[in-house]
Amino acid sequence: SREKRRKKRRSRWMGTENEKAVIPGMPTILPADLTPDQTEAYIAQLQIEELTRKLRTGDLGIPTNPEERSPSPEPIYGTDGKRLNTREYRTRKKLEEERHKLIQKLMKINPDYKPPADYRAPMVKIVD
Amino acid sequence: PGMPMNMVSMGTSGPATEVLCLMNMVTPDELKDEEEYDDILEDIKEECGKYGIVRSIEIPRPIEGVDVPGCGKVFVEFNSQADCQKAQQALAGRRFSNRVVVTSYFDPDKYHRREF
Repeated sequence: SREKRRKKRRSRWMGTENEKAVIPGMPTILPADLTPDQTEAYIAQLQIEELTRKLRTGDLGIPTNPEERSPSPEPIYGTDGKRLNTREYRTRKKLEEERHKLIQKLMKINPDYKPPADYRAPMVKIVD
Repeated sequence: PGMPMNMVSMGTSGPATEVLCLMNMVTPDELKDEEEYDDILEDIKEECGKYGIVRSIEIPRPIEGVDVPGCGKVFVEFNSQADCQKAQQALAGRRFSNRVVVTSYFDPDKYHRREF
């Protein structure tokens, strides 16, 4: 039943009032009079900062509990016999793609926006 | 990093209202699923209830082919400005589904007209 399901699952809220996330230069209380564009730009920038931090520190947010991880695809091996598509590699790639999309979106809203120093636009694949 | 626009006023809330807008919490994709939507609503109701009396909650859900205003945001109407203020202090910067919650007060008239 619904009640049973609710008892089993955990709340999406994490931490307590005293365990707040701090993103340098990015307050979490905004004035009420921002335009939708300003709000969207701010949230995009906050998400970019979070992704940048994850990519820089290597703290990629991979669940330690294997049961919470998504199923792995078929392994792909390199010429040296090492696996190429490891979970770390796949997660990093996903985060980079997410960040790329957000940076593109933010640059459209604000042409003066400067992407993080370690950002490289992905190579465009040329299809014959 | 380059600030998107004039961020001088960021970090200041402006005058309190009884409606709190919560951002960066949910994605339109998560709201599509009926069970997930119910769970999210329940989580928010439960947590906000710790800081005051919750009068109503609005979570705009995605509609195929329509650009739904406010989709991705959550609006919580409290019984008083004081309750709303308490909730903002408690919730701003907390993580929800691992995302950092960003808050602002919201105009009650706009809320009631569903101008998200």
